Amino acid sequence: MGRRKLAQPAPDRLFAMSTAYVTMETGMGLTSRGTAAIVFQPLATADFESIVRDMEEVVRATASDSGTTVTSSDDTYGFRWLVLRGSDFDDLVVGINAVSSALEAGGYGERVLCAVFGFDDSRTKRPVYWIYNYKRGAFYPFAPAPGSEHRDNEREFVLKAQIGKDLPVEQELDRWFPLWGTPI
Amino acid sequence: MLLTIFLLGLVYAVLIAVLIAAGAGAVTIAIVAAGLFAVQLFTSDKIALASMGAREVTPQEAPQLHAIVDRLCVQANIPKPRVAIAQTPMPNAFAVGRSPKTATVCATTGILQLLDPAELEAVLGHEVTHVLNRDVVVMTIASFFASIAAFITQFGFFFGGGFGGGRNNQNNNNGFIFVILISAAVYVISFLLLQALSRYREFAADRGSAILTGRPSALISALLKIDGGMSRIPQRDLRAASSELAAFYIFPPKVKQGLSSLFSTHPPLTARIERLQRLEAQLQGTA
Repeated sequence: MGRRKLAQPAPDRLFAMSTAYVTMETGMGLTSRGTAAIVFQPLATADFESIVRDMEEVVRATASDSGTTVTSSDDTYGFRWLVLRGSDFDDLVVGINAVSSALEAGGYGERVLCAVFGFDDSRTKRPVYWIYNYKRGAFYPFAPAPGSEHRDNEREFVLKAQIGKDLPVEQELDRWFPLWGTPI
Repeated sequence: MLLTIFLLGLVYAVLIAVLIAAGAGAVTIAIVAAGLFAVQLFTSDKIALASMGAREVTPQEAPQLHAIVDRLCVQANIPKPRVAIAQTPMPNAFAVGRSPKTATVCATTGILQLLDPAELEAVLGHEVTHVLNRDVVVMTIASFFASIAAFITQFGFFFGGGFGGGRNNQNNNNGFIFVILISAAVYVISFLLLQALSRYREFAADRGSAILTGRPSALISALLKIDGGMSRIPQRDLRAASSELAAFYIFPPKVKQGLSSLFSTHPPLTARIERLQRLEAQLQGTA
């Protein structure tokens, strides 16, 4: 089954996060940190850069109505993080979707790596992230633990069990790749 | 270990066949077999511990380990077994003994270093469940019955051909090899059934651990660490993985279980994790 075309992002399932957040807040002890990010691999072409600039403008324009701010930064792996910060969780989801749609519309869908949503875990008193893999169309939890590049696997399994069917969760454990040093 | 159990039973089966051919009566054979079985039942735990180089430890020597075993035994409502540690970097934990009163739970230094306290408790919960379920006795008796099955097959052949009327030595010589083969075949089938029984009891021990600790996810985490293989939750950053492998588009080859799963004493890791995840979902009320 050879796949020559790179998989396009699956944005529709991203919106499950909006409804899932209700479960997270009420039943799982997770509160949004008011941050979300989309991570993509920039291309060093003028076309790509202009699309990114336009997209940032659009997101800034729509986001400022709700008080959401947008910042952009590059990480050590050469990926770009577009970070949205705001108190309205639904606006964060919408904003993330706007970015991925813009990239996809520009033909750069396969450059999108993932979306990340940051939460405070009242049980462990540590941040917890739900990472959305566009190519797999599924979320998985990431709970960094104290120490260098440690993660709390047990907590991640519990979160997966708790969210149940409210989110499309990645079933293959060997695809639960971490994002060390998440800046959100 | 698999080969050992198989050969052990085969030895019983062949020994019995030899005894029959040598003309030993049924009573003699029964006594010999029962004697060997009793020896196995009463000494296998000491042999197992000695072969691992395990040494019993006091609560002063290993306070954390004893504390975990204490808690588990209170939960399981069994008398506290002896606690031993084996000096080896291989991560492993096991329980031996006929009954909770005569049992020993052993952990290797490897596993004590590898797992965090919650994971260690989950693994020891699995072992304590084996003690609680008297799995050592069950498996020993079951394997003995596999040999008995072979014995009956052999006896049936000889009864039909030899013992009933006069003994015909000519027939015995030709039939001897045939009988060995048939009893070996019966034994092989019994053995495969034994392995299935063993796998079932492993699932039961996983379930018991989840019930004792209330933390099935801790056991999942421990199993993944011990396995250390491809099914682990990865350590490698998503950004590194995506640029190196185009890992998103090529599905890694899944090793096919196939025939080897028939011979395994433990169920495959993915099956164990799947069941434990279901237990966690039941616990969380989302199943």
